[in-house]
Amino acid sequence: MRDLQDRLGYLVLAATALAYFAVYTTSLGRPPGSFDYLAILNTTMPLVLVALGQSLVVLTGGIDLSVGGVVSLCVAITAATGGAPGWIVAVVLLGALCGLVNGLVVAYGRIAPILTTLATLSVYTGAALWVLPVPGGSIVPEVRAVLSNPNVPTGLGWLALAVAGWWVLRRTRFGLRVYAVGSDETAARAVGVPVERVKATVYALSGLCSAAAAVFYVATTTAGDANAGAPFILTSIASVVVGGVAFTGGRGSAMGAVAGAVALTLVIDVLFFAGIDPLYQSLFQGLFLVVAVLLGTGAALLARRRAA
Amino acid sequence: MNLPRLGMLIVLVLATACGTAAEPPASAPAGAGGKLKIALSNSFIGNQWRVEMENVFKAACAMPPYKDQVECSVFNAGNDVSTQSRQISNLISQGVDGIVINAASTSGLNGVVQQACDRGITVVSFDNTVDHPCGITVNTDQVKFGQQLAQFIVDELGGSGNVVMVTGVAGTGADNDRNKGAKEVFAANPGIKVVAEYSGMWDSATAQRVTAAQLPSLPDVDGVWVSGGTDGVIKAFADAKREMPVFGGEAENGFRKYMAGTLTPQVKGMSIGQPPYLSVVALELARAVIKKEREKGNLTIPFPVVTGSALTPGETVFPDLPDSFFADFTDSGPNAILVLCQQAATDGTPCPGATLSVKLGTP
Repeated sequence: MRDLQDRLGYLVLAATALAYFAVYTTSLGRPPGSFDYLAILNTTMPLVLVALGQSLVVLTGGIDLSVGGVVSLCVAITAATGGAPGWIVAVVLLGALCGLVNGLVVAYGRIAPILTTLATLSVYTGAALWVLPVPGGSIVPEVRAVLSNPNVPTGLGWLALAVAGWWVLRRTRFGLRVYAVGSDETAARAVGVPVERVKATVYALSGLCSAAAAVFYVATTTAGDANAGAPFILTSIASVVVGGVAFTGGRGSAMGAVAGAVALTLVIDVLFFAGIDPLYQSLFQGLFLVVAVLLGTGAALLARRRAA
Repeated sequence: MNLPRLGMLIVLVLATACGTAAEPPASAPAGAGGKLKIALSNSFIGNQWRVEMENVFKAACAMPPYKDQVECSVFNAGNDVSTQSRQISNLISQGVDGIVINAASTSGLNGVVQQACDRGITVVSFDNTVDHPCGITVNTDQVKFGQQLAQFIVDELGGSGNVVMVTGVAGTGADNDRNKGAKEVFAANPGIKVVAEYSGMWDSATAQRVTAAQLPSLPDVDGVWVSGGTDGVIKAFADAKREMPVFGGEAENGFRKYMAGTLTPQVKGMSIGQPPYLSVVALELARAVIKKEREKGNLTIPFPVVTGSALTPGETVFPDLPDSFFADFTDSGPNAILVLCQQAATDGTPCPGATLSVKLGTP
């Protein structure tokens, strides 16, 4: 049963993928085509990246609300500068820096993550509006072709890179320390884990992921909007929840959050092809979340009872 | 741990494999034998304006001539760009002939709109338009909205006095343009002093709350320019027992009730609205372009303007509808672009016995 909680993200993803396949095929009389898969891949990539960063923070028992602000700011800069490779590097570094600020305040200032990141969310969103007061901007066509090509699944390569990054990270000493801090901070400190440094780093990584997501966002949409990041706050947290990462920290996997992010995107398509009245679509999206969370909690409860 | 992951991989591989076989139709067969398929993709449905906008769209689809020519569908995206983008991708897969869009972001849908255009789908955006050049836009001139209301205030005040500006949601194109237009006019009249500028978030309740908070610190106010939430601002002035300034504001039914004197104190004002029937104009434009009755080209329609105290109940003011209702869901006057009945806006039901005629004007 403990396994079920770990695999929640994959199970939910498999279920939604099957449902998507079924409703699409019954609705249109043919299975989804390469156009559909590519469109899903390209529109999901930003959320996948933000969810990945968010899950790292949640694994240490924190939360990062500022992802919305970092995405907005980085979208604004990328779009305003046209996304030349030099600027992309600068944007990614800036994202990491924004995250690091969060991490330093949380770790050394000992201010609750929810307060810290709520404050920086406002700051970063404000900066985004300052950079790009009106939606617009552009992206170098070559960057678009490499990141989110509408005809070739280049996104798969980047997705694989992100998965590989997590796979390696989890096996490093730092990866172990993330889990240690999330499971029991005091115990981790007692065995010599540099808790502050670990925390500062996960927030910086979350900022980095948000910045990368922003670059993907601009590449997919070909322009920027200073309010682009706002939806990612809730959807990234929802992905983490659906992915079976425990909010108490120390349990779950970033891959679960990635699966959760893809599942959340597929739910939109399932509702679309199932012909649900648009007025009730958000109701069903919410129900989906509730069911996923209940599944996770139920699995955790069962596991505890069995252990007792 | 490995089994579900393996399953995921298999699903993915299978999916991509079948994928290459089935492509969406390269170009939609324009009304071959049947009705045209036109979908409305709306970014969100969280306010009165959007509800009316969707209702008049549904009503129009159920009225002749659209009833027999067009098969309509409506989708909402919860103001999330990626959701709206997914919905439009799915519409492309469905092979619709036209997509009418009120966008969650001016720029965020460019990628998917390009894909729709590549497949021969006619894309018409309105209100919050999409700035990709391959789509057609239908809108009003928001800079003019700001100018026209500001000019009215300047004229009423004889060129001098204290003015308050209540703006909309920052970071949106419409808010930016409206403010720009207003500031141009106020700056050109040195006698006018803008004593305060704050955001009412295009929402009557917010505008009322913020205005109530600002009023004690403000000197005498002679004119108020409101981008949205006008009835809320008037209520705040009335509650504070302040003398009623001249109002230039949106087309809220509540504002018009104050103008008509149905609500007291009566105020002097000009009411200009972003008309909810933009969705119907966009529908007509999409239909005409798909049927090749009209060249592709952007369209700017004039604002419905109401000023003075001679308002017509049932046409420009609706005494039995709530204050928050936008009274400009139908055009009025001899040059009306279209005329709709009350139930079209409240329930989305067709006006009995009426044939809808939308005058797009010459391109």
